[in-house]
Amino acid sequence: MPGLFKNKVFWLCILVLIITFTLIRATSSEREDITLVERMLREVYAPLQSSVTEMRDYFSGPRSIFSQKADLNEKISEQEEEIAKLNLENQVLREYEAEVKRLRVLFNFSSNNLDKYSLSAARVIARSPDNWLETIIIDKGSVDGIKKDMPVITPKGLVGRIGSVSEHASQVNLITDREIAVGATLQRSRNTSGIVEGMVEGSLLKMINIPYYASVKPNDMVITSGLSEVFPPGIDIGAIYEVTEEPNGLLLSATVIPTVDFNKLEEVLVITDYTPVTEAESVPEEPMAEEE
Amino acid sequence: MRYLMHFLLPFLAVFLQSTVFGFYSIKGTLPDMVLVFVVFFSVINGAAKGTVYGFLCGLLEDLYLGRFIGINAISKALTGFLVGKLQGGFFRENFFIGALAVAIGTLLNALILLLLSRLAFASFHIDKQFFTAVFYQFIYNVILAAPLYGWYYRSSRAGLLRLSREN
Repeated sequence: MPGLFKNKVFWLCILVLIITFTLIRATSSEREDITLVERMLREVYAPLQSSVTEMRDYFSGPRSIFSQKADLNEKISEQEEEIAKLNLENQVLREYEAEVKRLRVLFNFSSNNLDKYSLSAARVIARSPDNWLETIIIDKGSVDGIKKDMPVITPKGLVGRIGSVSEHASQVNLITDREIAVGATLQRSRNTSGIVEGMVEGSLLKMINIPYYASVKPNDMVITSGLSEVFPPGIDIGAIYEVTEEPNGLLLSATVIPTVDFNKLEEVLVITDYTPVTEAESVPEEPMAEEE
Repeated sequence: MRYLMHFLLPFLAVFLQSTVFGFYSIKGTLPDMVLVFVVFFSVINGAAKGTVYGFLCGLLEDLYLGRFIGINAISKALTGFLVGKLQGGFFRENFFIGALAVAIGTLLNALILLLLSRLAFASFHIDKQFFTAVFYQFIYNVILAAPLYGWYYRSSRAGLLRLSREN
């Protein structure tokens, strides 16, 4: 044993361990920017990963068309029926939209709808190579105007936010990751708020911090509340599956089935111009009382 | 050239895990190809070299992932060391040794990750799903190791992966 302390290799191992533990600590929380080595590594991988996605699209496209022709025909007729229904619904909604816009102008309200944001479409080129972190890599980076913390969505709902950016690729932290917390509310009763986070089991989400008196029922739609500084309000997150009472009896929690299928993500949209509404901006100033 | 080949294997493993294996996951669980190569290397080259190789391969994976940089470096270095030490009593040329070493290596690596997460890093969440993922990863790694070990062993003896004359 005393010989061990005189061994140079032993002390080298201890030194490497200390440095590594410090490094793990330093990178355990969100960082403002990634290091040059990480950026270079991602830049090397990105074109290779992109080419795999292209090859998959190239080969799977025609093959699936030929092999599933009957299936596709059936789907097309179903879609045509759906389109007819949606067209009708669209007409009604357009009327409502015009009415809402007129009323907004009348009452000086600002719009929260997603159509006011600029969206940048990106392709998913890779997934996390390990089983513990829930991330994806997209083929847009800083040269395309992508910045850290930009929200990422699909037409079906919220995907996550940009975690780190290199020149031609970006890492997206999915909302199923335990590190991400999203301010959420129920679409039915907007005053029921909570926080949605990833669950350790499967790709489900958990809504926590719901007040015990809140009316939460299965199938209720959960949307972003806009209270966090990253995600705009009104984006679909998922549907309530099961509601449970927390042991303290003061709060409820609910399992949420996400609207987005994270295993089948191929394309996403990055919201590039969302600026959170600060408290000072959202609360209109009270008019000065006129002096008598 | 030989050192380059040993670097290219984990590089390729990370690439495959982030792309191709994503389409062929078992119940959403990916294999750990980097670990498979670390274990093979330790079986053939011993504990000391296995530790260094495990550390470098884990570091590559950590740098790619960008979070908790060093956690895979430590776990794979220790796995490389332990597998190298355990290997002493077996014949390296035995076809089943590769699969057996990978099976033991997968469990050791999981145990080390679990200990590290419990010891120091509260935000590195490892829970119930961890054991399910380890179970499927164990199966996946062994399935991959069985055919790969033969090629790896032959290349290490007389091919591109041979490090020195005594191998």
